[in-house]
Amino acid sequence: MSDKFDAIVVGAGPAGCATACKLARAGLEVLVVERGKFPGAKNMTGGVIYGPVLDSLFPGAPGDIPVERAIGRHVICLLSDRSSVSLDFNMAGSGDRNGYTVLRSRFDRWLANKVEEAGGIVAAGLRADDLLWQGQRVVGITAGGDEFRADAVIAADGVNSTMATKAGLRVNLSPENVNQGVKEVIGLPREAIEERFGLTSDSGAAIHFLGFCTRGVHGGGFLYTNKESLSLGVVVQLKALMESNLKSVDLLESFKEHPTVREYIRGGTTVEYSAHLVPAGGLRMVPRLFTDGLLVAGDAAALVLATGRALEGINFAVASGIAAAETVLKAKERNDFSKESLSVYEKLLADSFVLQDLKTFREAPRFLENQRLYQTYPELACKLAEEVFRVDGKPKKKLWQLARQEMKGRVSIWQLLRDGLSARSSL
Amino acid sequence: MSPMTIEERLALNKYDVDTEAHIRLNENICQECQPRICLYICPAECFKLRDGRLSFAYEGCLECGSCHVCCDKGAIDWSYPRGGFGVAFEYG
Amino acid sequence: MNIIVCIKQILDPEMPPVKFKIDAQAKKVIAPEGIPLVISPFDEQAVEAALRIKDAQEAKVTAITMGGQSAKDAVKHVLAMGVDEGIVLSDEAFNGSDSFSTAYVLSQAIQKAGEYDLILCGRQAADWDAGQVGSIVAEELGIPVVTLARKVDATGGTVRVERVIPDGHEVVEAPLPAVVTVSSELGQARLPTGRGIVMAARKSIPVWSAQDIGCDVSRVGAGAARSEVVALTLPIHERKGEIVSGETGAQAAVNLALKLRENRII
Ligand SMILES: Cc1cc2nc3c(=O)[nH]c(=O)nc-3n(C[C@H](O)[C@H](O)[C@H](O)COP(=O)(O)OP(=O)(O)OC[C@H]3O[C@@H](n4cnc5c(N)ncnc54)[C@H](O)[C@@H]3O)c2cc1C
Ligand code: SF4
Ligand code: SF4
Repeated sequence: MSDKFDAIVVGAGPAGCATACKLARAGLEVLVVERGKFPGAKNMTGGVIYGPVLDSLFPGAPGDIPVERAIGRHVICLLSDRSSVSLDFNMAGSGDRNGYTVLRSRFDRWLANKVEEAGGIVAAGLRADDLLWQGQRVVGITAGGDEFRADAVIAADGVNSTMATKAGLRVNLSPENVNQGVKEVIGLPREAIEERFGLTSDSGAAIHFLGFCTRGVHGGGFLYTNKESLSLGVVVQLKALMESNLKSVDLLESFKEHPTVREYIRGGTTVEYSAHLVPAGGLRMVPRLFTDGLLVAGDAAALVLATGRALEGINFAVASGIAAAETVLKAKERNDFSKESLSVYEKLLADSFVLQDLKTFREAPRFLENQRLYQTYPELACKLAEEVFRVDGKPKKKLWQLARQEMKGRVSIWQLLRDGLSARSSL
Repeated sequence: MSPMTIEERLALNKYDVDTEAHIRLNENICQECQPRICLYICPAECFKLRDGRLSFAYEGCLECGSCHVCCDKGAIDWSYPRGGFGVAFEYG
Repeated sequence: MNIIVCIKQILDPEMPPVKFKIDAQAKKVIAPEGIPLVISPFDEQAVEAALRIKDAQEAKVTAITMGGQSAKDAVKHVLAMGVDEGIVLSDEAFNGSDSFSTAYVLSQAIQKAGEYDLILCGRQAADWDAGQVGSIVAEELGIPVVTLARKVDATGGTVRVERVIPDGHEVVEAPLPAVVTVSSELGQARLPTGRGIVMAARKSIPVWSAQDIGCDVSRVGAGAARSEVVALTLPIHERKGEIVSGETGAQAAVNLALKLRENRII
């Protein structure tokens, strides 16, 4: 057996599989190495794939993709310790859908299958340990004590990317740039889910929470519907978590106890508990994306959009994976895998939503450092709503008066204005 | 739903535990360390205090990488488990 | 030397106990969708026994498995360990086969696979623990069988087996071709190497149907089953703890021994 491939992809997540699928379909010999016993075994996500990105690889998506539910209802929910205020965008009844929930253990396995169908080789249960170098050039990897060579290596090995770090393209992660997510999958009968969330049989809901879900710590909560389960989780910035002396699993427990959430998950049984990091530093965190013989895609390159509401990473991973494949195909035509040749990659990303969105929201990470977002404002919103809706036989006040009354001691008008302006410019 | 202990949580997951640890600590550094941030940060609570000493068990590790990111004392020699070992999520 | 190893996929024994579900009415085990099947550990050791022989001499090892969609994963795993060829036997008609039908199907496939000197099986599948298939394969093929091997040496025309018995082991020799079933005392099966995994991932694995191996379909599947599952229940785990104490450590040990004797455990 020759151990030389056209391309070696490290990691069979969405980034790696997208790259490999595209390369294999173009007739290249591609090897994907995946450390999990099977593709998807190691991967956890909140669960929503946003936008049409899968269509370009799999026309007619979702088709046979193992998606759970197509999102017909997006909700943003601000939590105080005992109540909540929501903005509910509901198109479930109209038949319109945007995004799908997935369970990664199943979804990634399907993706890797598609790679194999296209002629790619997926070696699961194999951890890439290091890069192989020839001078300044990456010429392959070592894995399981053996060497494998290729014209191009694509590091799609996720947030803790060993490959990009070993290549010297990025430094170790720092606590202000990454968030920790903990998640429970909660089994619940299909009918209960549809009834509680007001869904039809194929539609799903995505609820994002701010406030009590993280007890004021920089981060948020999510609740997504699957076919017969819910994905419930808390995502917090590592730095803020370190400073809080709280444990994310305790946040998750108290989030589950919140009256609003409790009703959604009532009677369910937890069937899985998982944890994962996610890059959240935005553009400032994106490392150098390539060097001689090597490209970095997906989470390994910190290509994730975090706007405080949702996390978009899977669509970014797939799009960057496709761009990496296009780059390799062009380099193959020229038979030139130098960094000059591979610099096409950055141009492709700059022309797509991947770098454009990260540029548009470049100030978001700084804005999201604002502590008031996670406690003061959600509490204020709930208080205000309570005052507006409660009829208690006392003389009523006007909305503005109520707002002033509730703000007192929590936040000044100037702070509010400044935060509002800052939100306008960064989100 | 009633609260769960970390042991109950981890018992839901499937692990293929390797015979060798994929994460190793430099005990001398940990002995001196304060405030031992790993105790709070690890979502699998692999780090525990026993009689004032830090003890670490790799078996329940969820392979998130948080300890590696947060320990600024350089005490953690961190890697993923060997291929095929460690946690295998059923849902993910 | 041509060695054939029969392997079976089972529910992962490492699976969290809470995930184990049965349908008591249908008397069937419900395999959780997200936890892939694995090779029965005894079968993995049978593969190890084959590879140890191959380490020492010229030999070709072929793995055969009967199963559904995921059977290829089992074959890939043993290819990665160092097995040369793998064959999947898959057919609707095989569904619900008992030990007799399974052994019949395997023996048909073994005959089609070509020359064979040694056939290795696990001592029993770690799911139903029936431990019959190996012996019935031998019966079907009309060759000798040695069970419960902890060491297998095959040279010339004979196989020499160290066979596990309750208070030690005995050494048995049989003329080849023969069937040997392998026990856990053989020791750890090897892990796949990097190159092995990649090579296995590359290999295409033939799938043979009932017709391909010339099966008499009246002898396979649920209809042909000669054994019947009468009832299927989940064991109830009762955890009862009792702390045995004593004045001194030695006294506590004596009390413990007495307790064990009382309960007829020792
Ligand atoms: C709690 C949470 C919620 C999220 N919610 C969403 C959401 O709702 N929507 C969304 O779009 N995004 C979400 N994200 C982000 C999203 O999950 C990631 O951006 C996405 O998974 C990145 O894909 P990837 O292919 O780059 O990396 P990964 O999915 O991490 O894949 C990397 C792969 O590489 C493998 N690997 C790693 N190292 C090695 C090695 N050395 N050798 C071999 N294999 C290796 C891993 O096992 C893995 O399979 C969320 C993330 C978290 C943590
Ligand atoms: S691992 Fe790091 S944080 Fe934890 S005790 Fe050791 S030195 Fe301190
Ligand atoms: S990698 Fe994550 S789960 Fe594992 S020990 Fe470190 S913090 Fe804990």
